[in-house]
Amino acid sequence: MADIFDSYTTADAWDEMFERPGVVRPAYEAVFAALSPLDSLELRYRTDQMARAFTDRGVTYSYGGEERPFPLDLVPRLLDAVEWDRLSRGVRQRVLALEAFLADAYGRQRVFADGVVPYRLLYSSPHFHRAAHGIEPPNGVRVHVSGIDLVRDEEGRFRVLEDNVRVPSGVSYVIENRRVMTRTFPALFAEQPVRPVDEYPQRLLAALKACAPEGVTDPVVVVLTPGVANAAYFEHALLARLMGVQLVEGRDLVCSGNKVRMRTTRGETPVHVIYRRLDDDFLDPLHFRPDSLIGVPGIMSAAHAGNVTLANAVGNGIADDKLLYTYVPDLIRYYLAEEPLLPNVETIRPEEPGRLEEVLDQLDRLVLKPVDGAGGKGIVIGPRAERDALDRLAEEVKADPRGWIAQRPVALSTSPTLSRRGDGQDGLAPRHIDLRPFAVHDGSDVWLVPGGLTRVALGEGNLIVNSSQGGGSKDTWVLAPDAPPSRTTGERSTAVSEVSPRQFGPGGTSTPGGPAQEEAQQQ
Amino acid sequence: MAGRLRIRHETRVGYPSPAGSSYNEVRMSPLTLPTQTVLDSRLDVAPAASLWTYWDYWGTQVTVFDLTDSHTSLSLTATSLVETAPPTPLPTPLDRAEIAARSADSRLTEYLSATPRTTVSPDLAAQACAAADGLDAHQTAAALTDLVRERVSYTQGTTGVHSGAQDAWDQRAGVCQDFAHLTAALLRAAGIPTRYVSGYLHPSPDAELDRPVAGESHAWVEYWAGEWIGQDPTNGTRPGESHVIVARGREYGDVPPHKGVYRGAPGELPQVRVEFTRLA
Repeated sequence: MADIFDSYTTADAWDEMFERPGVVRPAYEAVFAALSPLDSLELRYRTDQMARAFTDRGVTYSYGGEERPFPLDLVPRLLDAVEWDRLSRGVRQRVLALEAFLADAYGRQRVFADGVVPYRLLYSSPHFHRAAHGIEPPNGVRVHVSGIDLVRDEEGRFRVLEDNVRVPSGVSYVIENRRVMTRTFPALFAEQPVRPVDEYPQRLLAALKACAPEGVTDPVVVVLTPGVANAAYFEHALLARLMGVQLVEGRDLVCSGNKVRMRTTRGETPVHVIYRRLDDDFLDPLHFRPDSLIGVPGIMSAAHAGNVTLANAVGNGIADDKLLYTYVPDLIRYYLAEEPLLPNVETIRPEEPGRLEEVLDQLDRLVLKPVDGAGGKGIVIGPRAERDALDRLAEEVKADPRGWIAQRPVALSTSPTLSRRGDGQDGLAPRHIDLRPFAVHDGSDVWLVPGGLTRVALGEGNLIVNSSQGGGSKDTWVLAPDAPPSRTTGERSTAVSEVSPRQFGPGGTSTPGGPAQEEAQQQ
Repeated sequence: MAGRLRIRHETRVGYPSPAGSSYNEVRMSPLTLPTQTVLDSRLDVAPAASLWTYWDYWGTQVTVFDLTDSHTSLSLTATSLVETAPPTPLPTPLDRAEIAARSADSRLTEYLSATPRTTVSPDLAAQACAAADGLDAHQTAAALTDLVRERVSYTQGTTGVHSGAQDAWDQRAGVCQDFAHLTAALLRAAGIPTRYVSGYLHPSPDAELDRPVAGESHAWVEYWAGEWIGQDPTNGTRPGESHVIVARGREYGDVPPHKGVYRGAPGELPQVRVEFTRLA
């Protein structure tokens, strides 16, 4: 066994690369063979190269007030074709069930009348926007883009950790990671066919055009950003540029007579589809926060009148409430008459009769999550929490059982990751990872970018994958079954980015000890 | 015996410096219901704007318009012609237990939870429950209305559009909006689904025919006792042929007669004038 894999021991979790110490899983054989001859100095050198490329392109995040490159580990995360097929069918199923739920919740509300989901879940959700009632998406799509967070459990089984159907971010990492990996480490790609990810912007654009208001044959699409101060501004700018559409802020759009126009140097031009990376609350001061200066007054009315389509739809937050998450398997059975292909993590709802006591009795053995916590905020891992933290938690849960779910702790799977070892030398060590596949729904198909964003917790034993907690990411490969072996992955020949470096990264915070999920629900 | 009323609701806002790009929603069109028929309803806006109408989540007719040119004043004139009916006899209410069972997991649930303006202290909620103990739904509505009317006096100027039920209770003063919020809060605390009603009340039911009299927009509540029953806590009466229903929601925030945002310096307080004419 080569130097860098020396003393690689698998932890009490599923390891992505090794079946057991010294035995490489088949999908990883080529990568293992390519990496093994390298020494740790070379790995470090290439990692630093990638970091410099990120700094140069502005793929950075703010860490203690300092702009740092988002750490990209050079050992890729692999999914073989069979596994990816299974996983993507599971994600597709889930997205379709959530679409059906949203259409129902903002329509006839059958799912509640039929007793599958309690009414109070809807009425008590701060994201149930009654102002969105009556807005009919032209092609029926509300979840144009979603990020379904998955983890692989101890048995190697993928489970859904949470759904993000509002403004999921992170796809720019997927694109940038692949770009820099192919430049820095072309040899790694030489031995096997890896499915490209650069199709994403065109798929997204096609889906956005497909949801244009009826009768518009050549729709104008824009990306609406909260502005340069937003943590994901780089992503907004990147997607607009790769799609070849305008990046606008609220002040660039003006509504009149229920139509939306964009101010340009050549006057005002019509806009038909808005890929908005702005939270509902800030979208239209007439309907939501009146103090929002980054929104567009009148935009809800224009959407209501059917003259503009907002993607994702307003009010989707009722579907990624973590309490609703617990009902998603039921929703799949109810709407699709199918069994869920991807299980949830086992979850208890403290708000149900009798379950609160059950949760309180074993707080030290459960993971408690606020139903509305973005960026992993407020998550407490019982087994790792101090006694007084658990006592405080017990009080909070007792005061608001609707506000929490309880899950069994899942040991996220591990992947070999370049780390500083105890002896001061660099080497590969197991680090916990998750996966956020991105799905684009165009009304006829739910398409997944092959792979998605793999986040890695860089500290030993750490389960937190947030960049704000020292997390990084990995290039995620889906191996193609049929493609020619020498084919390299998608690299777009685009001009050098004119985007200046700025804060970029999962803006979420998390409490120590949680497998915190960045959500970066913007603003 | 039906009444026929013409209502003219004028709102005028002046801006000390010109306002630009103004976006507005108006909820002033009365509903056609078994108890009232709208014969005519219109909204005039000055400066002129093109109007668009939709029905919102609560079933209210909403008129939307925007003004993109700068303007120094905005005036809205909503006129309607409505036939109203006297109150029907009170039906036998469902038992409180049956009401609780039917509203536990149904659309009625929405009218049981507190909203920003209908949130009261746990003490006050407990007081409402105690006052309702052993009473049927109608008696509960009457008892809680009395509780509100004993505590709160009708006084203009002590509360504002953003005030809530607890504010009015603490200040012992309020206007119809506060009476309605407070009564709704207490009825909900007692487990009876209650909605907030926005509308108009003719101030003098026996006014001379064809002569306009000044009045105001009004708010009251409806509680669910097997069906929705009106209750006017400000006046301690059941709504009848002098009441005209425009909108129903959980609270004022769901049914504001006019809301708007515009670019510019703060305007003057709106001048509102409501005029009623009995036609039959």
